[in-house]
Amino acid sequence: MSATKVTVRLTVNGKDYVREVEPRYLLADFLRHELHLTGTHIGCEHGVCGACTVLINGKTGRSCLQFAAALDGAEITTVEGIAGDGPLHPVQEAFHEAHALQCGYCTPGFLMTTIEFLGQNPDPDRDEIRQALTNNMCRCTGYLNIIDAVEDAAKRLREGAREA
Amino acid sequence: MKAIEDFTLVGKTILRREDAYLMRGKAQFLDDLPEPKGLIHIAFVLSPYARADILSVDASAAKALPGVIDVLTGRDFAGDIKLFAPVIEIGGYRPVGRPVVAVDRVNFVGEYVAVILAESPYVAQDALDLVDVSYDPLPSVAGIRDAMKPDAPVLHDHLGDNLIFRTAFETEGFADRFAEGDVVLEEEFRLGRVTGVMIEPRGCMACPDPIATNLTLWTPTQIPHIVRTAIADHLDISESVLRVVTPAVGGGFGTKAHVYPDELIVVALARRYGRAVKWVQDRREELLTNAHAREHILKIRIAAKTDGEIRAVHLDVKTNCGAYPNHPYSPTLEATAAVRMMPGPYRIRNYKYDVCSVTTNTAPTGAYRGTGQPSAFLAIEGMMDRIGRRLGLDPADVRRRNVIRPEEFPYVNVVGVRYDTGSYSQSLERGLEMIGYDAFRAAQPKDRLVDGKYRGIGICNYTEVSGTGAPGWRVRGFAKMPGFDSSRVVVEPDGKVTVYISQADAGQGHYTTFAQLAADRLGVDWADVTVVEGDTSKTPYGTGTFASRGSVVGGGTVIRCSEKVGVKIRRLAGYMLNADPERLVLRDGRVFDPDDAARGLTLREVAETAYSMNNLGLPQGEEHGLEATDYYDPPMVTMANGTHVVQVAVDPQDGRIEIERYAVVHDCGRVINPKIVEGQVHGATVQGIGEALMEEIVYDAEGQHLNANLLDYLLPTAMDVPDLELSHIETPSIDTVGGIKGAAEGGLTGAVPALANAVCDALSGLGVNITRVPLRPSFVLEQIRNAQAAGEGRT
Repeated sequence: MSATKVTVRLTVNGKDYVREVEPRYLLADFLRHELHLTGTHIGCEHGVCGACTVLINGKTGRSCLQFAAALDGAEITTVEGIAGDGPLHPVQEAFHEAHALQCGYCTPGFLMTTIEFLGQNPDPDRDEIRQALTNNMCRCTGYLNIIDAVEDAAKRLREGAREA
Repeated sequence: MKAIEDFTLVGKTILRREDAYLMRGKAQFLDDLPEPKGLIHIAFVLSPYARADILSVDASAAKALPGVIDVLTGRDFAGDIKLFAPVIEIGGYRPVGRPVVAVDRVNFVGEYVAVILAESPYVAQDALDLVDVSYDPLPSVAGIRDAMKPDAPVLHDHLGDNLIFRTAFETEGFADRFAEGDVVLEEEFRLGRVTGVMIEPRGCMACPDPIATNLTLWTPTQIPHIVRTAIADHLDISESVLRVVTPAVGGGFGTKAHVYPDELIVVALARRYGRAVKWVQDRREELLTNAHAREHILKIRIAAKTDGEIRAVHLDVKTNCGAYPNHPYSPTLEATAAVRMMPGPYRIRNYKYDVCSVTTNTAPTGAYRGTGQPSAFLAIEGMMDRIGRRLGLDPADVRRRNVIRPEEFPYVNVVGVRYDTGSYSQSLERGLEMIGYDAFRAAQPKDRLVDGKYRGIGICNYTEVSGTGAPGWRVRGFAKMPGFDSSRVVVEPDGKVTVYISQADAGQGHYTTFAQLAADRLGVDWADVTVVEGDTSKTPYGTGTFASRGSVVGGGTVIRCSEKVGVKIRRLAGYMLNADPERLVLRDGRVFDPDDAARGLTLREVAETAYSMNNLGLPQGEEHGLEATDYYDPPMVTMANGTHVVQVAVDPQDGRIEIERYAVVHDCGRVINPKIVEGQVHGATVQGIGEALMEEIVYDAEGQHLNANLLDYLLPTAMDVPDLELSHIETPSIDTVGGIKGAAEGGLTGAVPALANAVCDALSGLGVNITRVPLRPSFVLEQIRNAQAAGEGRT
């Protein structure tokens, strides 16, 4: 059943990778097992929970629902690409200070969703934040501190933009 | 034990040290661990039938697939692994064991029928479709009442029927006391079947160590020591050759506080093949096979006086065990919890209960956040409102009439549980005040229809069992549940501190809070304390992290153990300073005389003496090293408490429930880290909202599982969650070390009854009686329409 492998070229967190994989190989598995970027987590494998969310060409996508081969040439950002080993990104800082994560398994997906959302809507109200987060599931926090964190992150990003 | 009053770091929010590596994607959950060479990936063939005989398993096509190593069936494990069964010593429990992979017969959808061993997970998945199992389907049963019928299919022949557990209790003269009531009220409540749905599903990996006889099992469990004991028992191997380690754990909620067949299987296979063996669960398997919970039927009869005083309560609880008893608790867990917790914060002195659990062709049920308590309080808090409605009393006044008053503490309840301290009245009053209860009641219109919606308020005043010690487990028959937790606190030669704890974090923030406690007691910077957990080879034995025990028992042992080390630090420092050790204090990384601060030493200087790194030598009789070990067995249980008051609006057009205001008053005794407690309250409350309004695993009458995916098993999302108004009361325990009570479950326990009561209150003018959860819109709409139709029938 394992078909002939195909060559896949992806730019992940600014670095170019070339790998030979089966056409059916999922982007999540490509990131996690070929590139060992295990910060992208798999929670449901049917596109509901959002734990596997990454940025694909700047837009959020479910890495558990996409074939790596179909994305040949794409630019991917994973949670490892947000801040690397440097200082935490303002969104990460806001999550830390609001206690917006407990087990942290869903958190990479929330961070990616938040970064995309605040890029589009730098000054959201709480209802807009709730709507933006509705495709990511968290079972630990009850979401309230995540909503607080996104509000705070928006503020931090706006202030950062003013200073820059 | 006297509450400790000189805490300095306790009660302060310290931001979690766990966060940065989790947010950088550096945490290693099970499937993130580096894979050993020669790793075997396994996958399970699951039964599609609720009950069937297995006629044959033809794995020839699967075995022929390149990359498939082998395909094994139940018989291949029968020699290695004993029948899997918990050890329960309570009257009325009848033991049932299960093969870890079915032999000849399956009893629920999702039961393991065969195991694929392959070189890659993709190949293992491919091979699943190639295993040809021939089944002969048999009559099956899923529901509690159906399973109790005389002609019901019997799952386990040796029982003769499906009653796996039954017990009863009655206070002296119960019938006479019951007869003293002016009114008798009766109701039947039901709770749907739910489960933990951690965002990280389960999985496990067994790796033979270089020393050939030893083996490490990586498993995201809440109970590593109990897992090790169970595996050693069932595989007949020594506990000393098996190491159980938890990687980062992506949520537990009780679901991961079981021992599962797959954990035994990967260890047996790693031993057989001499290779590492890994299994990762997918979401469908998670919903089909992990321990489910609830599905309770509670029939409650109450005799009350006209002033609302409860004279006597009879509670009859029936629970669904599923096909087999879970390990290590068996179905007695939720059954005995529900009946033992029901008295709650109320002065109920005359009590009778009957409780049973029945086997059915469904997944085994077990522990899930709240265990028995959401059921117990759905019943008793539901009755508080009904007493009010029957007698024309305000439901808040009925609670006031029955609640245990401040002057009654310490109080021993009707089943022998001691409530050492609590804020039952205070928390009730504060909750009512926060929501503006009196104003709402005064304004609540008779027909309750405002802007097209019906509005109501629901109250739940609850107690929360936490930190169960050995007596609490023994009284309920859990023979292999130790009750204690333990720690080893080491001051290293450089004066820094390592704390090894028998617990296992699943996101609760132990690496921060336990460092806070040790730092507090040793007078060091919390950043200088490293916490090690979840590794049976490094930590002393203990019970684990579940049932709101982390802070009480784990925290208690860390405090005690740190203080033990503190005694030695002072003794050595006294010797080095020629001072009275009793006079010395530990603060700012130093040990010194508070009246002469210059007369002191750094912790490092003391450690250098302890580790023979200077020329001072040790006083006579003193041993080297600077550490202590502590085993802390807490009281039977420690009761936390709280109150939820919620206002809802119900739309009669579509049955949707909107939470308009939600007040939570919460008392978990001494708070270690307020922000982390807040997180526990938020998380539990929202899980309770899920259980009350949307979550339910649905089986059809024959036991076919109908919603094993997250599109059909609904979890709350950010859109479903109201802003919670939180208020903390801090009433330290006088029985536990440090005055700590548990905090993890009350949110769920409070939410389910409060929401059911609120909806019932909103719709009671229509004649709707809400007695079950979840309250999905379709169900609510049906109740409204039925009531409207009945109303029209009358006119």
